[in-house]
Amino acid sequence: MTSIPKANGSRAPGRRQIPWQALVDATMLMLWGLMLLRFTVTGKLYLLLHPDYMWLAHLAMVLLLAMGLARVVQVWSSYRQRSGPAPRSQEHIALLPRQFSSVLLIAIAVFGLIYNPRPFASETAFQRGITDVLGQTRSRPQRFSLGGDSENRTIVDWVRTLNVYPEPDAYAGQGATVSGFVTHIPGWPDNIIMISRFVLTCCAADAYPVGLPVELPAGANRPAPDTWLEIKGTMKTTTLDGKRQLTIGSATLTEIPEPRTPYEY
Amino acid sequence: MTQLNNGITLFFSLLVEAMPFLLLGVIFSSVLLLFVDEQKLLAIMPKNVVLAALAGSLIGFLFPVCECGNIPVARRLLTKGAPTAVAIGFLLAAPTVNPVVFWATWIAFRDQPEIVFLRVGFSLTVAVTIALIFSAQADIRPFLQDNLTRMMGEPDPAVAVSTEPEVSPLLKSGTFLMQAPGQVLQLDAPPAQVLAQVAVAPPPMGQRLRMMVDNMVLELRELGAVLVIGSAIAAFVQVAIPREVILSLGQGPVTSIVAMMALAWVVSICSTVDSFFALSFASTFTSGALLAFLVFGPMIDLKNISLLLTVFKGRAIIYLFVLAAQLTFLLTLVMNLYTG
Repeated sequence: MTSIPKANGSRAPGRRQIPWQALVDATMLMLWGLMLLRFTVTGKLYLLLHPDYMWLAHLAMVLLLAMGLARVVQVWSSYRQRSGPAPRSQEHIALLPRQFSSVLLIAIAVFGLIYNPRPFASETAFQRGITDVLGQTRSRPQRFSLGGDSENRTIVDWVRTLNVYPEPDAYAGQGATVSGFVTHIPGWPDNIIMISRFVLTCCAADAYPVGLPVELPAGANRPAPDTWLEIKGTMKTTTLDGKRQLTIGSATLTEIPEPRTPYEY
Repeated sequence: MTQLNNGITLFFSLLVEAMPFLLLGVIFSSVLLLFVDEQKLLAIMPKNVVLAALAGSLIGFLFPVCECGNIPVARRLLTKGAPTAVAIGFLLAAPTVNPVVFWATWIAFRDQPEIVFLRVGFSLTVAVTIALIFSAQADIRPFLQDNLTRMMGEPDPAVAVSTEPEVSPLLKSGTFLMQAPGQVLQLDAPPAQVLAQVAVAPPPMGQRLRMMVDNMVLELRELGAVLVIGSAIAAFVQVAIPREVILSLGQGPVTSIVAMMALAWVVSICSTVDSFFALSFASTFTSGALLAFLVFGPMIDLKNISLLLTVFKGRAIIYLFVLAAQLTFLLTLVMNLYTG
């Protein structure tokens, strides 16, 4: 720069102060906005949130990008006019060192831009206690209707139905078509697997697994855990671990790709 | 490896769900901090102690701030002569009893609406009770930091608030500074009075807007960092600690409450987003324990002790802490024992 500022006595001549902190803030805001944008565009948001609340994440994305942009414009204009820094609010008391917060937030946003979230799988399902019963602390649906064909029920629908009327014999002979991932339950015979799904009420933090036992056709290979399958069969009752359980019998198994929305709601 | 992936997915899930609420909270609090006039608000506070405590607890609806934003506000309320009951009620209840937090809790626990309403109910009960206990002390100032009591002036709250002198102050002798139009500041007034009035003089609109944006970014940066740390802890606990350990801790009516209160104190997560944190424990911990987390955490935690020290002396903070902990424990224990 060749322009020489007019010596007005009150300001140190020559140097324009680059407002680093404001630039770091703008970067942080934009990166967070971009991270949310990436999750939205790649559909990874479906792995993290219940679809009902995605608009909140979209809103946050827009606000963050706008705030970041506003910050850049503000920095640019005050840099051009060479006005002093804005007066600081007197109310604030720092909790964490400023640089620490900035670095942490930028690092997390960058990590979010490169990391691919993965849906929960069988190991987690087993660890979180997979059941065909919704426990006391699970969500209790406000409405319950047994609409339509038994073949249209998802795993969650079946589990909710069982929750209301647990007698497995009541469903004997009904057709079932469900899709989910495979979980092996220790102690079960080799010809029985669990077909399972995670259910979300708010976000991945409260995902809980549900599942139905499936009796494999004679001679069929046991599918590996986490394989996504569509299963067609007829309901019957089997005794597993000394408990009578509703099981999908005479099943046909079709391997399917992992769905875009692996959770049910 | 699966565990690590799960942990990270959980971590981002919490962040993505909580960030919009943090943003809303920060935006609201920045706007309102600069545009609500506490002076006028204090003028309409009821005189009755119980009503004042209740009113103070409900001011949160006007200042939807979490626990980091409300301490500076409580501090200002005290310097402007707010009765003890109002200030303490506000300090303890405002982080929970406000629309943003209510909405966030509703989204997290829409399947268990009792948690949402009991959170508000218990917080109000605890805040009003403690506010009444503190206002039994006729003069609150021995509990406060010295620099704050100096700003408060004498016990009679007529000091430092008279902005309408009976004659124009320019007709009196002394040294004066022009403030905003119509307001002058007498320089030879007692220093405490000068300081108090300087704080009152509102800056011009353009500057206020700029301060508002600055405040937003500032709060977002700080609270965002705390949110990141809190989410990391929640994710870690979920995947690294064996489920049997958590279950055995989380199903006992007493141990579950104690564990969640300790966790609330350590994690120090902001009240606008703490319901999502609690949600990740919803399947393993008793409802009473979740409530204890949601009620106690916003009142006192590791992070806001340093903030409370800008208002209170250590002894008063210990009283606040012990009272809040005992009341929360009692209320949530009753709930655990009665609802099984």
